[in-house]
Formats: sequence, C-alpha cells, structure tokens
Amino acid sequence: MSVNHLNDDELNRALLGEELGGEAAEHLSSCLVCRRRRDEFLALVEEVRGADPDEATRARVREQALTLWGAPSRRHWLRWAAAAAAVVVLSVLPLLRSRTPAPKPVNADAVLVEVNKVLERDPLSAMASEDVVDTVVPVGSQVGERSIS
Amino acid sequence: MGREDERELVGSARRGDSDAAERLLELHEVLVFRTCRRLLPQGEDVEGAVQETLLRALKSLPRFTGEGSFGSWLVAIAVNLCRDRLRRRRLVPFLPLEARDEDDADPLAVIPSSEPNPERVAMAREAVHRMRREVSRLPRRQREVFALRFFVGLDLEGIAAALSVDVGTVKTHLHRAVHRVRLAVEEARP
Repeated sequence: MSVNHLNDDELNRALLGEELGGEAAEHLSSCLVCRRRRDEFLALVEEVRGADPDEATRARVREQALTLWGAPSRRHWLRWAAAAAAVVVLSVLPLLRSRTPAPKPVNADAVLVEVNKVLERDPLSAMASEDVVDTVVPVGSQVGERSIS
Repeated sequence: MGREDERELVGSARRGDSDAAERLLELHEVLVFRTCRRLLPQGEDVEGAVQETLLRALKSLPRFTGEGSFGSWLVAIAVNLCRDRLRRRRLVPFLPLEARDEDDADPLAVIPSSEPNPERVAMAREAVHRMRREVSRLPRRQREVFALRFFVGLDLEGIAAALSVDVGTVKTHLHRAVHRVRLAVEEARP
C-alpha cells in the first residue's frame, strides 16, 4: 500500500504555519513521517536562532542609547536623588530635635507662697504636710535628701 | 500592550519623556538584538549595532507615522543599519559559517533522542552548520525574510512593514528560501 506524503509545497506551507487543505491537513495530523520532517526542521531553526540576550545586557545597551539620546542616566539620577534625600534628612533632623517639648518648669514663687502660708498656720505640722511635700518634691522625681530651714 | 497604548508612549517619548522612551525600547529591543545578531557576520559588534539602532530610532521618533507597529519600524531601522555595515565593510556572508560560541550550547536538541553519542553529536552539529551555511548563501531578500520570520519571529505583515514590501512579496521570497534551506538540511540526513 503506497502512502502519499505531503509534497514540497505543502510541507513548506506547514513549516510556515499556513493553513493546509483538508486532505493535506488530515494527512499531517496522522502521518508520523511528515510530522517528523516538519518538527525536525523547526527544532533546527530554534537551535540556530539561539538564546536572547540576558536582562543585564539589554539594560546596559538601552541605557547607553538613552543617555546618548539625551535622557538623564538613571544611575546618575539615582545618585542625585540619594544625595538630595541625605541633605534633606540632615537639615531637618536638628529642627525635629529642637521641637521636642522641654520639661515644664516648676513655678518656684508659687511653691514658696504656699509654703509660707502653711508655715504661718502651723509650722510643726507643715513640716509633715503631704501637700507641701508633694509640691516641693513631685511624685516620680529623683532628688536627694532635702532640708527646709 | 495595545496599539493605542503604544501610540501614547511614542507621543510622550517624542515630547522628551525619557521614561516613556525607555518603556518603548524595553518592549521591542529584543527584536533588534535578534535582527542584528542574525544579519551581521561573526565578529561584528552586535551590541554596538543594537545601541546605534536604538539611538537612531529615538532620534527619528518624530518621523514614526504609527501606521505599522513600533516593533516593525524598529526592525526596519536595524535591517538598514546592518545593510549599511555590510556594504561599508564589503562583507558578503550574511550569517557566519562558523558557529558563535553561545550557539553550540546543545547541538543535540535538534535530534529527538535520549541517547547522546558521538555520531548523534556530529549529526547535530552538521545540521546546524548546514542550515547556517545555506541561509548565508540565499539571495539577500530571501535571507532577510527567512531571518526575520524564523530567527526574529516576525509575522508576514511585520516582515512586509520592516522591509517596505507587500505581503505577497514576502510570501514568495519566504517559500523559496524555506524550500532551498529545507532541501539542503534534509540532504544531510541519513
């Protein structure tokens, strides 16, 4: 039994991805020999084509072209951006520090007025009064020994 | 990316937007690499040719009409640049007869079998060399359409736009080229 394989024109069209006629398409789908001829040729094409360049190569060539065109180099732009950011941070930092709220100063005159009032009323008990102690030595403050004279 | 988005990018790049220009190149530069790699002979500075093509394209942006795709337009510039270089150096071969180093990574890939042996390696190398040699011997127009179709990956319309010819002409050259290369490769098979 003889088999009519794809002729040259049909095989060329198959290699180019063109639509084949009914019988030819049917034959190609069922004939191992014709499919192998097509697939081996296409595999060879892939082999000769080789791999595409890696991303690093592409980026380098692209950047060179853009720089020659007049676009600012991205690397230079990044360097300038980093430098600008550093300048901003260094100049703003002292301002941020100076805006930190200072501890509220103790009103010494008010304290003394209060102490005098209490002393006038009862000098002895005043020495042990919690109000006076709290006013002179606020809770949480670290002070050494004190004497009132 | 749609044609409309591409036009917007082209418009922005024309106005000097370097980000848009960079995006455009990113999208299509691989076509230029493939074109230059296959249209220039071994030893030619492919990266230099790609860079020059991209620069020419950026400078010529105002002349891009937008009728075809930006990729085809870029390939057209690459093809012209390669022709210029070949003419200037009076180099006849289109593709190198000897393999580039990176092309010989796995010659066994062209023979479907799981048993590598010296005979198969030799056959695979021979097939690759034969295809390169045959393509390099094709008439210029056939070489170009064959390379753009099989090595760059353009469709018929893209090739027609890149070479400024009609699709029918591309088909004719392509069929002749495929026929000749296929016969040469098949002759080498046992």
